[in-house]
Amino acid sequence: MTEIPTNTPVIELHNLKKRFGIGDAEHFALDGIDLTINSGEFIAIMGPSGCGKTTLLNILGLLDRSTDGEYKLDGREISTISARRQAYIRSHQIGFIFQSFNLIPRLSVIENVALPLTYKGILQTKRLKIASRILHNFHLGEREYYMPSQLSGGQTQRVAIARALVNEPSIILADEPTGNLDSRSSHVIMEELSDLHKRGNTIIMVTHNPRLTSYASRVITMLDGKINTDTKSADDETIPFTDITPTAVKKRKKVKLVRPWTKRRHKSKATLVSSNRRKK
Amino acid sequence: MRFLFINHLQNARQSLRSNRMRSYLTMLGVTIGVASITIILSLSSGAGKIVGDQIDSLGGNITIIRPGSPQTMSTNLSQIKPQRNFSASSLTEYDLGVIKDIKHVAAAAPIMIISGTIKADNTAPSDSSVVATTPELQTISNLKVQTGQFLDSTIDKNTVVIGPQLAINIFGTDQAIGKSLTVHGKALTVIGVLKRANDPINYNSVDFDNAAIINLEVGKQLGLGQPQIQQIDVRSDSVTNLSGVIVDLNKALLISHGGENNFSVLSGDQIAQPTSQLFFALAGATTAIASISLLVGGIGIMNIMLVNVAERTREIGIRKALGANNGDIAAQFMIESIAIGIGGGVSGYILGYVIAFAISTFLTFQPAINWQIAAIAGFISIVMGTVFGLYPAFRASRKDPIESLREYS
Repeated sequence: MTEIPTNTPVIELHNLKKRFGIGDAEHFALDGIDLTINSGEFIAIMGPSGCGKTTLLNILGLLDRSTDGEYKLDGREISTISARRQAYIRSHQIGFIFQSFNLIPRLSVIENVALPLTYKGILQTKRLKIASRILHNFHLGEREYYMPSQLSGGQTQRVAIARALVNEPSIILADEPTGNLDSRSSHVIMEELSDLHKRGNTIIMVTHNPRLTSYASRVITMLDGKINTDTKSADDETIPFTDITPTAVKKRKKVKLVRPWTKRRHKSKATLVSSNRRKK
Repeated sequence: MRFLFINHLQNARQSLRSNRMRSYLTMLGVTIGVASITIILSLSSGAGKIVGDQIDSLGGNITIIRPGSPQTMSTNLSQIKPQRNFSASSLTEYDLGVIKDIKHVAAAAPIMIISGTIKADNTAPSDSSVVATTPELQTISNLKVQTGQFLDSTIDKNTVVIGPQLAINIFGTDQAIGKSLTVHGKALTVIGVLKRANDPINYNSVDFDNAAIINLEVGKQLGLGQPQIQQIDVRSDSVTNLSGVIVDLNKALLISHGGENNFSVLSGDQIAQPTSQLFFALAGATTAIASISLLVGGIGIMNIMLVNVAERTREIGIRKALGANNGDIAAQFMIESIAIGIGGGVSGYILGYVIAFAISTFLTFQPAINWQIAAIAGFISIVMGTVFGLYPAFRASRKDPIESLREYS
C-alpha cells in the first residue's frame, strides 16, 4: 500500500445554502456547507433528524436546487446547467437508492430495473437483457418477473440497488438505504455498497445508524444545516484505483460482480487490492 | 440527441395495460362520439349520393333546365340559397320548341307540376302529385311501365299514367288499366301503371311511385292560365355531345328570353346540388349536435389523465430521479392520451359503420364509405387525444421531484 490517494474532486460545495419558507417561517435547512468529495470515496453522512442530510443529498443528486452558494459537479457549476441537461446527468452519472426503495409497484422487478435505461434511449429488448444480467449478478434472477410487493425488504432494496447501478453511474447516492431493514438485511446491503465502493464508485450515504459508518471511508456529521465533524476513517487507504481516469472506471465496472454476501468479509485487504491490480 | 419515441410508446403501453378497465372506459367515451359522427356522415353522404347515382345510371347524357339564374356551387352551411319554388317559372312552352330544334338534342321533356287533387274511388293523399309532360319523358328519365303503356301522342289526349302507390291509394289495386280518375274535375282514363322505382328523392323532384302523369296539353287546359314549366329534361344523342348541347342551349335560350339570364342549364353534379346541399345542411346540424358527445368524451380523457397524474405522482418523482426530464414525462402522458384517442377513434369508426349499415336496412339507400369520413374520424380522435391530454401532461411534467417522492411515503 504505497499509493497515496490523489483523487480528483467530483463534488465541490462552497457555502451552499438552502432556505425553506419565507419571512417569519424562514429556515435554512443547509446553512453554508463547504465540502469537497473526491472520486472513489465512501462517505457516510450522519446527524440528527432535520439537520439537512436529505436536503443535501437531494441537491447533490440534482433533484433540488440550492438557494445560494456553489455546487460544482465534475468542475461544472450546476446552477448554470439547464434542467434538461441536469436530467441527462442524473440519467448518466447518478444512481439513487432510497430508504423506501421507491420501486414502481405496477411494474415487475425486471421492468423496474430496466427503467433508467429508458431515458438513455435503449429499446425494450436490450433494456430487459441488461436488467436481467444485473439481476442475475445480484442473485435475483429467479425473481425477475415478481412484483415488488412480493419481495422481502432486503430483496426489494437489492432490486433498488440493481436499478441504481444499471446505468453504470459514477456517483451513488443512498438515503438511509437500510432504514427500513432488519440488521441481517442491512448487513447484506452494506456489503453490497462496500463492494461497489471497492470497484471505484463514489458513494454518498445518509444514515442514522452509527454502526454502518465502519463501512465508510469518511464520516461527516451534520448539525443544524452545517457540517459538524469530518473524519476520514482509518481504512482510508483502502480506496482503490486512486489514479484512475473516468474511462478506466467504466472498464473496471464491466468486471463481473462476485456474490458479495458469500464472500468472506474478512478477506485480507491486501489480496483484494492485489487481485484488482492483476486485472489492470 | 436521444430519440425516445419508441420508449415512450412502450411506457404508455405498460401503463395503459396496468389500468385496463379504466383505459377501455375512457376509450368508450371517444368511441361513442366518433361512432355518432361516422353514422351521420356516412348516412348523409349516402343520401346525397342518390341523385348523383341516378344521373350516372341514366348514361350521363342528361342536362336539365330550371328557371332562375344559375347558382354558384356552395356546400357552405352558412350560404345555402333558398330554392325559388314559389316564383313564376320563366320557362315556357316556346322554349321547349327552341330546345328541340338544337342539334344533337335527342329528346326534351317538360316537367309541369300541377296542384290539384286526384279523385277516383278514393281521394288521393295530398302528397300525390300531378305531372304534365310529353311522352319523351319516359326515355329521358328511364321510367318503366309495369302494365299498359306510357303516354303517346298518337292516342287520345285524355289519358293518364299513374304510379303503383297512387293506384293502390285510389283504386285499392295496381291493376288500374281502363279505370277513370279525375284531376281538377277533368276525367282521364288510366292507360298504364308504372313499375315501382322506390326513389322518392330524384332530380325531377317528383316521386313517380305516387304521381299521375298527364299530357302537357291536358295540363294546360286545366285552367291554370300560363303553363308553369318547372323543369325541362334534355337528353343529348351521346355523352360526348352533351357539353356542346349545353353551350347551344344557353345561347338559344338567351335569345328566346330576350337576353335575360333567368334560367339555368344544369348537368352532372349541379343537378344533384340542391338535394345534396339540403343533406349537407342537415348533416352539418346533426354533426354539431354529435360533437357534444365528442366534447364529453374529451373531458373524460382529461379527467382520467388528471387522475392518472395524481395517482402516479410518486412514479413521476421516481422517473425524474432516474433521469427523465420534463419533456419525457410530458411525452409519456401525451402518448397515453393520444393512444386512448386513437383507440376510441378506430373502434368508434368501426362501430359507427356497423350501426349505419344496420340503420340502412330500414332506408332506401346505403351509407357511403369514403376516405373523407375515415380521415375525419382519425383526425377527430387524434385531436381529442392531443387537446385533452395537453394540460394533464403539462401538469405531470411540472411536478417537483422531491415533493413527488415524498407523496404517500
